[in-house]
Amino acid sequence: MTETEFLLWARGPAFQGATVIFVLGVTFRLLEILLLGRKPNLAEPRGSAMLGGLRTIVTRSFPDAGTHKRSAFTHYMGYIFHIGFFITLLLYAPHILVIEKAFGVSWPALPTTVVDATAVITMIALIAVLLHRLKDPVLRFLSNFQDYFAWFLTILPLLTGYIAFHRVGLPPPALIAIHILSVELLMVVFPFTKLMHAFTLFMARWYNGAIAGYKGVNS
Amino acid sequence: MSGASLERGINALKEQIDAPTATFFSACVHCGMCAEACLFFTETGDPKYTPIHKLEPMRKVWHQEYTFWGKFARILGLSKPLTDAELTEWETLVYDSCTLCGRCSMVCPVGNDIAYMIRKMREGMAASGHAPAGMIGATRRAVTIGSPMGVKLPALEAQIRHTEEEIGFAIPVDVVGAEYLCTLSSMEIMNFPEYIGAIARIFHETGVSWTISSEAFEATNSGIQIGVSDIAAELVERIVRAAEKLKVKAVISPECGHAYTAIRWEGPNLIGRPYPFKVFHILEVLDDLRKTGKLHTTGKESRRLTYHDPCQISRRGGVFEQPRNLLNMVAENFVEMPENGIMNWCCGAGGGVSANERADELKMKAFRRKKAQLDAVAPDAVVSACANCRIQLEEGLEVNNMDIPVISLTETIAEHLAGETSTEARQS
Amino acid sequence: MTEIRNDTEFRQKLESLDHARQRILAARFVENVLPFCNDERVSRIVKIASDPHASADELATALRTAKAAIIDSHARCGAECDWKDQAGYFVARAAAAAVSPAGQSAGGPAWQAAMGSRMAATCRSIDSTEDNAGQAKMQQYLILSEFLTS
Repeated sequence: MTETEFLLWARGPAFQGATVIFVLGVTFRLLEILLLGRKPNLAEPRGSAMLGGLRTIVTRSFPDAGTHKRSAFTHYMGYIFHIGFFITLLLYAPHILVIEKAFGVSWPALPTTVVDATAVITMIALIAVLLHRLKDPVLRFLSNFQDYFAWFLTILPLLTGYIAFHRVGLPPPALIAIHILSVELLMVVFPFTKLMHAFTLFMARWYNGAIAGYKGVNS
Repeated sequence: MSGASLERGINALKEQIDAPTATFFSACVHCGMCAEACLFFTETGDPKYTPIHKLEPMRKVWHQEYTFWGKFARILGLSKPLTDAELTEWETLVYDSCTLCGRCSMVCPVGNDIAYMIRKMREGMAASGHAPAGMIGATRRAVTIGSPMGVKLPALEAQIRHTEEEIGFAIPVDVVGAEYLCTLSSMEIMNFPEYIGAIARIFHETGVSWTISSEAFEATNSGIQIGVSDIAAELVERIVRAAEKLKVKAVISPECGHAYTAIRWEGPNLIGRPYPFKVFHILEVLDDLRKTGKLHTTGKESRRLTYHDPCQISRRGGVFEQPRNLLNMVAENFVEMPENGIMNWCCGAGGGVSANERADELKMKAFRRKKAQLDAVAPDAVVSACANCRIQLEEGLEVNNMDIPVISLTETIAEHLAGETSTEARQS
Repeated sequence: MTEIRNDTEFRQKLESLDHARQRILAARFVENVLPFCNDERVSRIVKIASDPHASADELATALRTAKAAIIDSHARCGAECDWKDQAGYFVARAAAAAVSPAGQSAGGPAWQAAMGSRMAATCRSIDSTEDNAGQAKMQQYLILSEFLTS
């Protein structure tokens, strides 16, 4: 197989396959959760569960001062790598083209130099987060294979994308193919790891806010 | 609680897992922030007290029963099922180092309500025979005698008689058609019976019609704390029967944290039907009397006062404005703790921890978080609205050589009552 | 000897006394129920409270000891209650009231000590056939009467 054929395969059938697995996997996981159901609450409500749920989806992104002080590193680094990841994913011109081809929507891109710098900052933040996970007693205690594997799956597209952009080591087609494969790997494994939090965090925050809001508490 | 077995425990856990629980387990990213919200971790530095870790056995059951790959692995024998040894190991984590305070639930960035899950996990622990001995004893007494501490009706009647002598008028018992049915916690009956006098005087002065029921005077619910919903339901049912028999409009929960959670929020779901009456915490009733202009107080405390929010009343109960409204009526120097209201720190003794002798040392360690708050505020006295918090605060302050009186909010209001039943009127 | 017929009179007379005299009287109330308490610290506190020349320091120390005695004797949450033991808790509370500084006990130290002592007696009556509570009240009226005429 030539490099070009490899790239075409990565961009074509492999990507389609990965997308199908991703979409089916996520849908399946969400159904697995939702079909468990939830008993109705027969206690007399004091406040609104609905408003509470919607509120907490937003407010849980902004911890109170005391909590922030105690978890400042996690808070800051977490935001940096998440925001950085989404900037490189969604505000990079070649990525926007892919999205436009698939969904017909597009939006302005950031200058490539900015995205490039963002990718570097994101990777540094991810490394910092890994070191923290390895060093901090609570994180070391809690962390398992899945935590480290998810980290690897997250940094790999950034790293391979950065290398592909800077054309280091191999011919560009091969580098791009590797980058796309790293994304596909992420997509395929995503539904079966904690990366599902990308979807379930909205549900979890909702439930949390609804349960508290029912009692008149803003959680 | 009879016939406990690993199988029953696992089945109980399976039954408890609902969509929220599955969502929470799926969303956890092992960020560790819940540890920093938990006083058992912050005051010991031991990672095993990380709240989400306390749920590991339940997470395992969820994974192996309700996720595709988890089930797949289990069926193929690639994963280890939950063992009795694991549940034994988790007993101290689930019961000794958790008061169900819910601070972790407020802090988790993905929104997990960890306390919600711990409550569920206790159902599995109890069904598998892994609940602490002290709590088992309390629950047994609650079921057979009607009080977790074995307080029987004659004892309550003696306390009532004493109170009637002290206040100079009768206390209504078994009055059909009274507006409110007041329940009491055994801790109050035994250690702080002046609470009875306080509510009697307040209601007498404000013209509220109320009664105690000789058939259902116990407010606390050991079933909630130990995690046996059938027992919890039975204990709630007793109060419901009495309330229906006496045709009251509302039931009042006393100064006790978990009693409120049990009757107000869990009760109807435990017994499977809504109540034909309302439920209030005593502070809600008092604040309502204030709002409607019926409650008149005189004089103000000049001491520097702060308020300890009982977790089940404030954060998990939603009654956090009322105590402040009431305190501002009678205090001219009320100062908040650095983290207060729904973000206040637990005293360390709720959720059955104080009924568990094995947890005594850990409980006192956890208290250091409250000590730190009190050091920051340096109050002349600390006010609260839960008899269990009160005892823990008193013990903790004593152990740490801090001379700060702990006072009840309801009793403080009663002390400042204006009118016939006021302290001055009684003195003249 | 002034006869005291009811609690209204009892309380009125108590509150007409100054703080120091109330303390002595309070000590006598507690002494009356000392047999209900196993904690020897409490009898020492009563001795100090009874001493008209007790210094402020001694009283402060006695109060700290009383508070410790209270905490040691209260009923544990969820533990099986023992009303005889609980009597000791209320005796300790009465003792604490006796050595409290002025202005800290609603109704005064003597009234608080009287109530605490009666509660201790009430506790003894529970699970028994004696009417300790009724006796305690009458004894308190007598103690007050004697005190006022002495």
